[in-house]
Amino acid sequence: MSDKTEVNLTGVKQSKGLWLVKVPKYLSLQWDKATEKGDVGKITIGKKQGKTEVRFSLNEELTAVGAVGEQDASLQVPRDHPFTMHTVGGQTMAVFSQSNADEISLEGMVVHRAECRPVVNDNYMKLKKLQIKASTKPQRLSQQLERAITTVFKPVANHDFNVEHEKKKKSEGKMVRAEWQVVLDMLFSAFEKHQYYNIKDLVDITKQPVTYLKEIMREIGTYNSKGAHKSTWELKPEYRHYQSAEEEEMQTA
Amino acid sequence: MTSLGGSSSSATEYTVRVPKNTSKKYNIMAFNSGDRVNCSTWTQARMERDMSARRIYGEEESADGAAGSEFGKKQREEARRKKYGIVTREFKVEDQPWILKVNGKAGKRFKGLKKGGVTENASYYIFTQCPDGAFEAFPVHGWYNFTPQAKHRTLTAEEAEEEWGRRNKVVNHFSIMLQRRFREQERGGDDDDDENEKSGKKKKKGGGRGGDLRIHDLEEDLEMSSDDSDSSMGDDGEGKTKAKKATGKGKAKKKRKSSDKEALEDSDDGDYEGLEVDYMSDESSSSDEELEKGKPSKGEHHPKGIDEASESEEESEEEKQNEEEAKEEEEEEEGKKTPVQTEKKKKKDSSGESESSDDSDIEGETASALFMKKRTPPKRGGRGSAGSSRTGSRPGTPSIDSASTSNTLRAAASKLEQGKRPTPGPSTDSPAAKRLKMEPSSQSPVPSGKSTPQPPSGKSTPSSSDVQLTEEAVRRYLIRKPMTTKDLLKKFQTKRTGLSSEQTVNVLAQILKRLNPERKNVNDKMHFYLTE
Repeated sequence: MSDKTEVNLTGVKQSKGLWLVKVPKYLSLQWDKATEKGDVGKITIGKKQGKTEVRFSLNEELTAVGAVGEQDASLQVPRDHPFTMHTVGGQTMAVFSQSNADEISLEGMVVHRAECRPVVNDNYMKLKKLQIKASTKPQRLSQQLERAITTVFKPVANHDFNVEHEKKKKSEGKMVRAEWQVVLDMLFSAFEKHQYYNIKDLVDITKQPVTYLKEIMREIGTYNSKGAHKSTWELKPEYRHYQSAEEEEMQTA
Repeated sequence: MTSLGGSSSSATEYTVRVPKNTSKKYNIMAFNSGDRVNCSTWTQARMERDMSARRIYGEEESADGAAGSEFGKKQREEARRKKYGIVTREFKVEDQPWILKVNGKAGKRFKGLKKGGVTENASYYIFTQCPDGAFEAFPVHGWYNFTPQAKHRTLTAEEAEEEWGRRNKVVNHFSIMLQRRFREQERGGDDDDDENEKSGKKKKKGGGRGGDLRIHDLEEDLEMSSDDSDSSMGDDGEGKTKAKKATGKGKAKKKRKSSDKEALEDSDDGDYEGLEVDYMSDESSSSDEELEKGKPSKGEHHPKGIDEASESEEESEEEKQNEEEAKEEEEEEEGKKTPVQTEKKKKKDSSGESESSDDSDIEGETASALFMKKRTPPKRGGRGSAGSSRTGSRPGTPSIDSASTSNTLRAAASKLEQGKRPTPGPSTDSPAAKRLKMEPSSQSPVPSGKSTPQPPSGKSTPSSSDVQLTEEAVRRYLIRKPMTTKDLLKKFQTKRTGLSSEQTVNVLAQILKRLNPERKNVNDKMHFYLTE
């Protein structure tokens, strides 16, 4: 909604007629290999026995499938492509372009549709055969290995992770009960950030033994056994002072 | 390559170029031929992406760090999604539809949806002819099908189904959308004005409107005035106690009004059968029994009247029906000259319940007050005269120690009269007291002539000598059973207490602060209760 771009309508005003041409994939691939100038071929528009005939012929250097410059004799993209022309009866089509700077301009209206067809010959058939083979190859492959892999997953007496964990536990020691007030302060500050807490999370935050913590929580909070915030603790309403929640309540009231 | 010619052949050659470094991405904008879109007639056009789908993706981000949030919710959600293999699709700006606006605000609007699969198997190129005669080919990046968007109102699926059901009855099809437009206006704008407009316009339109004609809207207007204060008060009370009146009031009012627009029918016989009785008032149930005992001994009309009276008294919540029933009762009473009825009422009054519910007090008051309504012009003042006339006609009536009424009752009664009559007569109190005697045993008798309303025991509300809305009363309620603020407000209705809705809410809030009741959450509602 914020960036509404004004569409540049100059193209349409000039009534530039455009052609929409459907080009086969292999041909467009070849065109991508064109030089900087962009010359890819020639179009011949002729009138043959009253009918307009359009042919496209690909440039010589672009006929090679593979790297540009190589002239692989075995495989060549056909050069001759007659266009099949249609009129745009059913649809009104316009072309709009979008630049990098998000500027939209209407380039023009489509006056003709065309399909670029290759001339079917053996060369083309070979090309197609290759294409089909490539596309039917599965993407994933199962491969049988001759030797078992022994570098990973060696049996260990105690895994590294476990060892670390035990060390940590030992160093921290058992959780000591702090003063009631101190714990209360910790809890209140925690509940300022979020409304609902799991008992495990609270233990994590306060580093108090579970029973002690539960005692305190029983005094200042309630346990939600049902509802959206299942099995969580929250402060009792008299201890609460959530601003936004109140407003929401008022809205719904 | 020149073509080898047949007889008539001319060929021209053009070079085809595919520019490499174009910064522009070309897309197709396709319209349907039926829409007859002519781009050359466009004077101005604007286009932007339709980002409305972003909400759906962003919705999962709930309030972070605010109330209602859980600790570690995000991580948990992520872990859960991974566990179930839920893959959320990214929101790609490239794939969003376009919105095209032609010729400014009054012009056409189009929505352009991306067509998929265009660039998968074949590539499209745009061939343009350059001034030098060569062709330039640009690859097409995307294809968008543009369809015009309707500006007029359309029916939703449910509404369409409704209308389909009514198609045989509705003659004037134009009115369907017109109605809808009015309704929309109404919800957005000033309620009263629009309602009047609507009703006015409807009258103009006349017949043939099928099921859309809401005749009862007018009735609503009539009834609204009397019920407005009550209904809005009820909802206002809630808003107030949550300490933000303004928004609550406006919304509540609207909500209430819209709910009032639902079909309102007069209550028929038998409508009260399944109704719930407020369990706080023991006496009403027993009064029911008594009445039923009395019923066979009376004529037809009397029991009906009393039944309705008792039923209406029971339902303090259905004020409207109360009023309606009371009106009917009064009419019957007037017609009868009813020692019988008064006797019955007396029986009910002196049912001898020792419970001290203000609830029933108020109800009794209401009923009796309403009985009097028709007798004298002032709304609730007339009962005195009627009462005294009645007592006069019944010599055998034992003189009831006019009191055994609580202070609250007397004061309440006088308050009612005060509110509506300029001079409350002294005699009014005693019959009122007699009528409303609900708790004979628990109160000390008061001489019948006493008219001065004693101030309620304990702390009274500062606003008036109104004794109903006292801390005492609230305390009693709360001890009995947990109640929500809404319930409490219902007990202290403005009509009975004479306070305005704002005042009631204020006072109630103060009382609650003083009492500081305990809270309990039942059915997602906050209930207060006291344990003493």
